[in-house]
Amino acid sequence: MIKLVVVTPSGELYNETVDYIVVSSKNNGDFAILKDHAPLISAIDVGYVKMVQGDKTLYTVIINGALENQDNLINIIAQEAHVGLNKDSAMQHLNEVRQERLEENRKRTQDFLKAEKELRKNIREAQASKR
Amino acid sequence: MSSMREIKNRINATEKTSQITKAMHMVSAAKLRKAERAIKAFRPLTRRLSRVLGRVLAADRELTHPILEGRPAEKTVYILVSSDRGLAGPYNNNLFKAFEKYVEKHHDTKDEFEIAALGYKAFSFAKRKKYTLINEEVIQVRDDVQFLDFQSITDEFIKGFLSGKYDRIMVFYTQFVNTLTQNVKHQTLIPLHDNPLLELEEEETSEKEYKTIYHYEPSAGKVLQELLPMYVVNLLYGMILEAKASEHASRMTAMKSATDNAKDLIQDLQLHYNRARQDAITTELTDIIGGAEALN
Repeated sequence: MIKLVVVTPSGELYNETVDYIVVSSKNNGDFAILKDHAPLISAIDVGYVKMVQGDKTLYTVIINGALENQDNLINIIAQEAHVGLNKDSAMQHLNEVRQERLEENRKRTQDFLKAEKELRKNIREAQASKR
Repeated sequence: MSSMREIKNRINATEKTSQITKAMHMVSAAKLRKAERAIKAFRPLTRRLSRVLGRVLAADRELTHPILEGRPAEKTVYILVSSDRGLAGPYNNNLFKAFEKYVEKHHDTKDEFEIAALGYKAFSFAKRKKYTLINEEVIQVRDDVQFLDFQSITDEFIKGFLSGKYDRIMVFYTQFVNTLTQNVKHQTLIPLHDNPLLELEEEETSEKEYKTIYHYEPSAGKVLQELLPMYVVNLLYGMILEAKASEHASRMTAMKSATDNAKDLIQDLQLHYNRARQDAITTELTDIIGGAEALN
């Protein structure tokens, strides 16, 4: 049994024991970590971790992360991560969430600028009526 | 003395304002609690990341990276972490004042540095002062701030640093001490000169007799290359979280005192109002008495 902990900026995402994991990332391909693996440190740019426990399989997709394995304890540090049953759907979900977020930010900025402009206009008008 | 109706109007207006400030105070208090939770949730990640980094660095002392090494600073990037909205007491102003003072002391011209503005207030401040900005668009610092929100800017200055466009990245932010105390602080983000990571690792190894030897996938250098920018971004994120908590705390205090002031003002006005009313009654009485006397 290996203990697996996935931490994200908003706290612990996953903390369970697993049989083995498979790490797949864009920068260095795939590798598996089984029980009693030698101490290992790796970085993940974009990729996923397949976590297998018995006949259950879960996928954690990760964007910008690091992995540390020592004494059957695997620490995964991720800036953004999402757990799903399927790597494609999890990735898709994460991407969708990111896309939405960016879109929302853009919209907020626009709304903000618009509101600011309107406010300035109103102030100007209010002052004009004073004179 | 102003008329009764005027005073009554002012009392009403002040009451309404105080209701708003009171609500804002409560909202900020709730948000502050949330921000504090976010800081707490974030801590394990930083701790783990710096531990991993420390191990990589301790394993091979020869290992180095531009982000770790300093070079003469010709061009500096200042990251200003401010808020999007005002009404937060002296929160933004303190930051800008501290920044201007610093710039005055350390730079002769505006060409020596560029600004990365986080938050609308910093953006408009830099625009007003005609500083060179890295980001063309406002980067909002939302209450539920995420890495993604300011990723474009971190990519920009890390790339700029690695390519030699910028030589130093500094952050100006407000450190959160407690609800009543927040300090403006500046810290060098890149290079990671006085390396806190290495020291951390040395402490750990001195406790243990032997050292674990790690494998690196694909290589220690590559891992470092990936991890260092991540660490930098994480540091910045931590500062933003602190700044966010400070903002809410600052707004909370400001709104609290605004509510208190409104209360004082209402009390004062009430006194004036009562006096004016008494005055009116007295005048009316004298009028009636005078009229009655004239009839006799």
